[in-house]
Amino acid sequence: MAADSAAPPTGLSRTDFLAAIRRNRRNTALLCILLTLIGVVVGAGIGWAYGILIDETGTGEGAGDYALYAGGFMLLFSLVWTAVALFLGDKLVLGLTGARAVAKEDAPVLWNVVEEMALAAGLPMPQVAIMETDALNAFATGLKPEKATVAVTRGLLDALSRDELQGVVAHEMSHIANDDVLYMTAVGVLVGLIVLVSDLALRSTRFVGWGGGGHGRRSSGDRKGGGGLVVIAILVLLLIGLLSPVAARLVQMAVSRQREYLADATSVKLTRNPLGLIGALRKLDQATARFDNASKAVQHLFIVNPFRKFGEHASALMATHPSIEQRIERLRALG
Amino acid sequence: MGTTGWIVIGVVVVLVLWGILLYNGLVAGRNQVEAAWRQIDVQLKRRRDLIPNLVETVKGYMGYEQETLQAVIKARNAAVAAEGGPREGQIQAEAALGATLGRLFALAESYPDLKANQNAMQLQEELTSTENKIAFSRQHYNDSVMAQNTRVESFPAVLVAGPLGFGKHPYFEAGDQDREVPQVKLR
Repeated sequence: MAADSAAPPTGLSRTDFLAAIRRNRRNTALLCILLTLIGVVVGAGIGWAYGILIDETGTGEGAGDYALYAGGFMLLFSLVWTAVALFLGDKLVLGLTGARAVAKEDAPVLWNVVEEMALAAGLPMPQVAIMETDALNAFATGLKPEKATVAVTRGLLDALSRDELQGVVAHEMSHIANDDVLYMTAVGVLVGLIVLVSDLALRSTRFVGWGGGGHGRRSSGDRKGGGGLVVIAILVLLLIGLLSPVAARLVQMAVSRQREYLADATSVKLTRNPLGLIGALRKLDQATARFDNASKAVQHLFIVNPFRKFGEHASALMATHPSIEQRIERLRALG
Repeated sequence: MGTTGWIVIGVVVVLVLWGILLYNGLVAGRNQVEAAWRQIDVQLKRRRDLIPNLVETVKGYMGYEQETLQAVIKARNAAVAAEGGPREGQIQAEAALGATLGRLFALAESYPDLKANQNAMQLQEELTSTENKIAFSRQHYNDSVMAQNTRVESFPAVLVAGPLGFGKHPYFEAGDQDREVPQVKLR
């Protein structure tokens, strides 16, 4: 083991998890600030377009104020919603998945495996929970390592060998060590808000397109240049409505997939045994039992997406997880 | 004169700030190493506590392996004696205990009766897990030691680390036999 740390067989040179967590916190903060800024820009754009559309004079003079108000509103809303999600997130996730906390006596092997992985990562022992379903899955939640939970399904517990279970638990422990729960919750909220607002913008163009268009025709005689501004405003709304949610989701899913790869790699760094996780992923891939209790809201937390049937579609840009074949391939490269 | 004075003050402030950051980094690293060591300690103590129970349970089945059982008990007592002594001595005693336990587990494989004993199986899961926990906390300890030793030896920290009392920490090396501990199959 000592020889392992001198020359990690995983090819991963970074073994100081606590330093990695600090680095991750910084990157998380940066991305969240960026997403908030995008949200503010989207809000300001919508506000400006509305200012143009409801403006009677046709000069677009008041539009700047509307842009300011809408942008400010988005900023405030982002902050409040993120705070609420972070505050309530844990309980919500555990409730949504039906995970029940267990004591050591209820599942000694699982408990031991979780404790082993907590020691390997140098993190405090998380809470251990079980979901009573035949489906094979697992997730981790908790904004801080001190208040984390690792949950696995009963089916997973029954189907996997000790080594495979260790690989899965290490993957979940990596999500905790990498601060992924905090990260994906905050990103999910900010992206959700952008999607919601741009959806509103898109719907309103239909409404404004008819009403505003009629209005424009009627008064086209007294307004010079106003018609052009209205067209631009509607175009801005359309662009925001169509592009920003797609772009935001693409970023979110790409980040989510990278986080899965990272958690797989970190898992091997903890166990120093890629075969365990590879075997587990194979079994998860072949499992047929459906996970009816899962909710779309928590799909990104699981080790494999509970809704997606993997295969040819799995490498799609909108997937929360990379395909299992791709994950196994990368794990092979580590071993 | 005024400009030179300000430059001197600026350099001194930067140097002091750099010194504070360096010192705090070294302290954080040393504390991480100490915390990691305490984690190993907890697991080693647990292993020492489990052993009398294990020996008691398997004695009836493994009557012909008196020599190995004696070796385990002897190694365990040596490890208990080394407790609280110098860290290098503890590491040696624990590595020796791990090696004799490995021999015992290997021999236990050829006693089918033992595998039918619920109590023995539970003890074996506990000991297997404790062995794993020792290995994993040792891994974390060694990772922390490597990070801290790199910090202490790097320039320019190497100039001040020694005088400030930050030394290199010893790695927890596994003994040769310990590395060949056969994995106990539970499923």
